[in-house]
Amino acid sequence: MAILIGGAMVSTEIFFSSCKSNAKEEFFTTEDISLLDEIGETIIPATPSSPGAKAAKIGDFMKVYVTDCYTAADQQTFFEAISKTKNLSEKKYGNSFLKLTVAQRRDILNELERGKPVPVKNQMKAPAATGDAIQTGKEQAADKTKLKEVPDRYFSMLKELILLGYFTSEPGAAKARRYIQTPGAYHGNVPYTKGDKAWAT
Amino acid sequence: MGNINSKGTDQNTFDAIVIGSGISGGWAAKELCENGLKTLVLERGRSVKHLVDYPTMAKDPWDFPHRNHLTLKMKEDNPVVSKCYAFREDAMQFFVKDKEHPYVQEKPFDWIRGYQVGGKSLIWARQTQRWSKYDFEGPARDGFAVDWPIRYDDIAPWYSHVEKFAGISGNKDGLDTLPDGEFLPPWEMNAVEKTVQKRIMDNYQDRNVIIGRCAHLTQPKEIHLQQDRGKCQARNLCQRGCPFGGYFSSNSSTLPWAAKTGNLTMRPDSIVHSVIYDEKKNKATGVRVIDAHTKKVTEYFSKVIFVNAAALNSNLILLNSISPRFPNGLGNDNGLLGKYIAFQNYRGTLSANMDGFMDSYYYGRRPCAVMMPNFRNVHKQETDFLRGYMVFFSAWRSTGHSAGTEQMGEAFKEAQSEAGNWGVSMMMQGETIPKETNYVRLSKDKKDEWGMPLLSISVDYDDNDEKSLKDFLNQGAEMLDKAGCKNITTNDSRQAPGLDIHEVGGIRMGKDPKTSLLNRWNQLHACPNVFVTDGACMTSTSTQNPSITFMALTARAANYAVEELKKGNL
Repeated sequence: MAILIGGAMVSTEIFFSSCKSNAKEEFFTTEDISLLDEIGETIIPATPSSPGAKAAKIGDFMKVYVTDCYTAADQQTFFEAISKTKNLSEKKYGNSFLKLTVAQRRDILNELERGKPVPVKNQMKAPAATGDAIQTGKEQAADKTKLKEVPDRYFSMLKELILLGYFTSEPGAAKARRYIQTPGAYHGNVPYTKGDKAWAT
Repeated sequence: MGNINSKGTDQNTFDAIVIGSGISGGWAAKELCENGLKTLVLERGRSVKHLVDYPTMAKDPWDFPHRNHLTLKMKEDNPVVSKCYAFREDAMQFFVKDKEHPYVQEKPFDWIRGYQVGGKSLIWARQTQRWSKYDFEGPARDGFAVDWPIRYDDIAPWYSHVEKFAGISGNKDGLDTLPDGEFLPPWEMNAVEKTVQKRIMDNYQDRNVIIGRCAHLTQPKEIHLQQDRGKCQARNLCQRGCPFGGYFSSNSSTLPWAAKTGNLTMRPDSIVHSVIYDEKKNKATGVRVIDAHTKKVTEYFSKVIFVNAAALNSNLILLNSISPRFPNGLGNDNGLLGKYIAFQNYRGTLSANMDGFMDSYYYGRRPCAVMMPNFRNVHKQETDFLRGYMVFFSAWRSTGHSAGTEQMGEAFKEAQSEAGNWGVSMMMQGETIPKETNYVRLSKDKKDEWGMPLLSISVDYDDNDEKSLKDFLNQGAEMLDKAGCKNITTNDSRQAPGLDIHEVGGIRMGKDPKTSLLNRWNQLHACPNVFVTDGACMTSTSTQNPSITFMALTARAANYAVEELKKGNL
């Protein structure tokens, strides 16, 4: 009965599958939602052509999704991402993330994304930050003994959820990408120029 | 079964009763009503009216709180149905939830069901290939199951009959492995698919690559406009129910058509307990129905009965129709009722990348894929396994691409908003061999809340399926390689039977009452005024999607029943 119609959703689907438990509802304070909005906006900022993650209410979306769809273990990992963001902001800039400049916010998130250097074993691969499941073999070819920066899972999880939430929101789907609920017809070959928007669905 | 309401026999009497309102029940209703028979359609699920009861049809992705994903609770509560690709936030209202209707898995079997008016015709995948002569000749040639009592020429006019009304898009490809039908204009292939098509056909003399054939109105004709159905809008949100009536379902097509004749009585929430057999008249006289809500039992009577409850549930109803004449289930003189269940092998998939084609994209969402009709063992036995497989593939561009070193910010956002590289996905639809050891039966001790025995299912893959899967993965990888694809990966999902949603058999057609349950007109050999025309009647599976064949068999049998009634033979 099933038929393969493209595979764009597959990687996120797999990414978010599995496990159990209820979220700590109280964890998502108003301040946390604001923090998630700002983390989202740092990764997906408003640009002249489309609103950013904050306008897509990414914090509210993440609260619903993490509460209803994540396993207890994944929720734990997610909360860890929030704590680490807060802690690193205080440690490095002596201020809360919300009060940092855009450059400082990027610096914090970049550091969290890079992770701390750990020895890389042969089969160890960095999770694909963009959700693109297909990787080249280049990474495996790297020197086995070299210390490599491997991002912890918590940050890629946070980032994946921001991308999912943003590009399925109205601003993300209909303004950043292209969305037409009722195309009216199918055309198999239309011109594409570098920079053209992708279909949201 | 105390407290049976047999009062008002007259008002409970019809010319025909149809059990089930899914894709085949809808066709039985249409044909019988059009021929002037007062017809009662019994549906165990709730009423679903076209347009009125499609609550999600106009929703956008952001209208779904979980963006069309399943919640953890929904997955935990539904380990079986949540495996189905179409069971998501937008269409879960049309699927049976695991706890609502339990069944017994003697072996793992994912039984995917749709209990509502329209059944699974609302949520089917809508691919509609005719069977070829090779498909009907398969069991006799290769010595499995029993010989089909019909051949392609017997059913060809009925394929035409249902295709014209349902509306089937397709290209006339002139292949004897996949006969042409009454087609509306075909869907297009995209640039990468056309390239893969050319390269495969250049490399393999015996292999054809064609656009899929599906039940979508690419260009409605008068008969479709009369059904108030319009052109398919390439939304590909079909499982929600279509606001345009762009794809065929019982709800959009056959049931309203039947209703317009004035001969249809539709009774939802009506669980059929059994078919009533009259020992004196030597025929079935009606059905016993349990009201889904009040649990009150009512009997309805008719001259002919069409059993279209969906393959496994039709087996359940006949197995539960016990009488002194038929102590093992209606029509079950040979003990084969419930046996020789088959399905289709969906385990193999491949994915790959295709470099280039960066100046090409597509517009709209096509509701079908590219097909390769079976090329294994078509004319003679050539491999170490029996039969073969259909190959489906499609090509698509990923959304978003790597933005160099920028992992956040403006450049990253722009990159994520653009189209990325091309990917190709491929899957198999393998024929499986019906076997006596693949069966369903009634649970001896477990009952549902309406007092019906639970269905106990024992169906599994065999060595032939493993070999066929292996061959597909090898051939698929070779073909994608020759087509110029990169990073080719193969996968065996190891999914349980059932998730294909192509389960068939158990009440098979055949020539001999000793080895089959139904004759060439889908009548029970031992009780000819009972017709079974859904998937349960299938003697073998072929490599084609089954629904268009159920539709054609149903229309053929219904018109035969009308003729026989006129002649006084039923």
